[in-house]
Amino acid sequence: MEKIRDAFDFRDFSKPEKVGFAIFTLFLLVFPWLGAGSFVKAVAIQFLLFSLFGMGWNTIGGYGGQVELGKAQYVGIGAYTVALMMVWWKIPFWASMPIGVLIAIGYSFIIGYPLFRLKGHYFAIATICTSLVLQDIFINWKLVGAAKGIELPIHDHPDFLYMQFKSDTYYFYFIMALFYVAIFYMNWFRKSKLGYQLRMIKEDEEAAESLGIDARWCKIKAYSIASAFVAVGGGFLAVYNLYIDPYSVMDLDLSIKIALMSMLGGAGSMWGPIIGSAFLVPLDRFLGSWLGAQKGLIGVDFMIYAALIMIVSAYQPRGIWGIIEQFRKK
Amino acid sequence: MAFLEVTDLVKDFGGVVANNHISFQIDQGEIIGLIGPNGAGKTTLFNCIVGYHKPDSGEVIFKGKEITGFKPFMTNQEGIGRTFQIMKVTTGMTVLENVMVGAFCRTDDSHLAKVEAAAILGFLGLDSVKSYHLNELPIASQKKIGLARAIATQPKLLMLDEVASGLNPKETEEMVDLLKKIHQEKKITLFLIEHVMEVVMPISQRVIVLDGGEKIAEGLPREIVKNERVIKAYLGEKYAKGI
Amino acid sequence: MIVLDSLLQGILMGLLFALVALGLTIIFGMMDIVNFAHGEFLMIGMYTTYWTSLLLHIDPLITLPASAIVGMLLGLASYYCLVKYLLRGPMIAQLFGTFGLMLFLRYLAQFLFGIDYRIIQKGLLVGKTLSLGPFRLDWTKLSAAILSLIAFLFVYYLLHRTKLGKALRATALNKEAANYMGIKTDQMNALAWMIGGGTVGIAGGLIVNFWYVYPTVGLLFVMIAFASVAMGGFGSIKGAFFAGILVGMIEMLFPMVGHLTGWDFFGPHFKFTVVYFAYFVIVVLRPQGLFGWKK
Repeated sequence: MEKIRDAFDFRDFSKPEKVGFAIFTLFLLVFPWLGAGSFVKAVAIQFLLFSLFGMGWNTIGGYGGQVELGKAQYVGIGAYTVALMMVWWKIPFWASMPIGVLIAIGYSFIIGYPLFRLKGHYFAIATICTSLVLQDIFINWKLVGAAKGIELPIHDHPDFLYMQFKSDTYYFYFIMALFYVAIFYMNWFRKSKLGYQLRMIKEDEEAAESLGIDARWCKIKAYSIASAFVAVGGGFLAVYNLYIDPYSVMDLDLSIKIALMSMLGGAGSMWGPIIGSAFLVPLDRFLGSWLGAQKGLIGVDFMIYAALIMIVSAYQPRGIWGIIEQFRKK
Repeated sequence: MAFLEVTDLVKDFGGVVANNHISFQIDQGEIIGLIGPNGAGKTTLFNCIVGYHKPDSGEVIFKGKEITGFKPFMTNQEGIGRTFQIMKVTTGMTVLENVMVGAFCRTDDSHLAKVEAAAILGFLGLDSVKSYHLNELPIASQKKIGLARAIATQPKLLMLDEVASGLNPKETEEMVDLLKKIHQEKKITLFLIEHVMEVVMPISQRVIVLDGGEKIAEGLPREIVKNERVIKAYLGEKYAKGI
Repeated sequence: MIVLDSLLQGILMGLLFALVALGLTIIFGMMDIVNFAHGEFLMIGMYTTYWTSLLLHIDPLITLPASAIVGMLLGLASYYCLVKYLLRGPMIAQLFGTFGLMLFLRYLAQFLFGIDYRIIQKGLLVGKTLSLGPFRLDWTKLSAAILSLIAFLFVYYLLHRTKLGKALRATALNKEAANYMGIKTDQMNALAWMIGGGTVGIAGGLIVNFWYVYPTVGLLFVMIAFASVAMGGFGSIKGAFFAGILVGMIEMLFPMVGHLTGWDFFGPHFKFTVVYFAYFVIVVLRPQGLFGWKK
């Protein structure tokens, strides 16, 4: 039960952080009643979803320092499990979601075992490869809908069993709940044995080994945790969009975005993924819709993204949170 | 039964036989020094014991259990701690957190680990730098933190890789006192690779000498300094102080 | 017979893959950076030859040097404007840095050229085939392969027989030592990027004769290049050569197996998937590839 206590213990954060977080929470709670349009609501939902994804990636990529670019395959596993179970056997969300998570965890152990023999760039490329391979398989696998994907049957009434609602407000609170579960989990994680061990691995793997840490095994564990997080998000996507295909849930671009959120915001920090997401998701959507409306400007939104990535990489690899911390030290 | 038994250890790097049939024993509670000119094979021997390298043949037996070829994290869990000659200077974790990682070797509980780590830092006189990062501290402190980290894993045998390198004479004296304190109060057996004779000679109960991959002498410090083979091995060595 | 034909096609494509892999392996050998934008460099090389030959009404073979020059300039600019700064940071930053470059170039192309597929239509060798006994080879592919080989040999000569090449290799082996000898690391790094960009630019100029260019074409080729470099050994030029050819053959033979066995699984849609899978397996089982050194 110490675990629960740790999860809710925010004492070691600074006052501004705690206050900021409290205000943020309050804001989220009342957000759906503030009269925002459906577009803004959708952006908010996406922000929370990507924060969830980002926090997941952060366990292995941020705290663990193992940059992996293949998270999308687990989004896909989560999404497809929920979708297929509903379409084939009418299994409700609350049963199919945990199964999806279990499959994701299992798969991550199978892949993780050989994967973590690699390090650095080789490792990063290998994670891309595994994701591409899975995506290719799904694109060509008729049983799961191949390239056409899966459409989930629409229910007319608000349905808590299958998590289908007409109003975005339900989805908002749902993803918000998941978001907070993730936050409490991360709060526990960063103070846990695995959290410390991972950070040591990131700092100096050799020293970590000399302190009794089985680096490979720790990395695999963190990788599985990340996969579970991300699979939950994938499940959410399935019931939110009511349509999934290998391009929307398993794409390399998605993997990149997930890693990017964390990195931009500050990989290895608690708030990093959230900050990154808060910054990039609205940027992405608003730019996309504004620029998309102007013909002849396709691609400019990504160009701005990309320029951002390059600038952050070159000048402040520790992300926005890194900048904030630097100010604090002064 | 010896505490640590190395029997007939061979490590060949494909052209250079770094360790050529080396054998020796350590009893619990001893302080043993390992010396020899550069390239003698000390580091290789060290690494073969802690598990960084796998010996080509021979045995390493610790507390009656064969640990030959065990990976570093395994030897640590068995009770062998080690320090590094050159520590990678970490920027992401404070001193306390560093030592906590060591403490986590023996417990799953973060609060316990924190208490343990704080206690060890206190023991080594490092209380004041608890919240600093390694890159903000001088080498002498870094070395002590390396010690603290390793001790936190509750080793029965602590292997020190040139723990005195980079220290000035005053710091070296402090280090010797610290090692004595660790030995007496924590009851940890010490095994030191050293070049700095001011550290090895005063505190070692026995000294093992390697040269060219072979053990050429073993005995009390005052016997070793008069040993002809040892003197010959060190002739021409720039830092043959104390001989 | 079909098998032999596939094999031959595989070797031809393989020579091209080898050229693409060459730039990547040189850059990695020099500074341990994986240039994720490598495929985009290729894409720009392709567009360069396409547009110059179209707009200036010159044969695409003659506009090849343009691709080479653009490639070299691109490599240089990338180094001095971005990579130089990335080198100071942690690996995650380096990865993301070149990743950002990749995205930037890709969407820049999309912005400038739109998403249409384009391919060289007019040229001396376009559409012509050579009959060699029972085999029929496209002249475009054949000439591309031959020119790739020449480019490869040229770079090999440059690296192993000239003073400049020696300086480059010295820096790759030991930066500090080379520095002491008066070889400026910064310049050598830039040179590596220049050669890397130039060679892949040429490859692009050759490929666009028989392969469609579109803004995202780079991704496919960069993954093939990664696989080749991994197989051949990161940093090894010989490795890039043989692995590139090997990948070309795998890519051609894989659908062949499908033909012969009738198994739907071994179809053309999986032929690149096999390459990704092969990368994974090789890098896990034999990290140093065929010719690389164990890091």
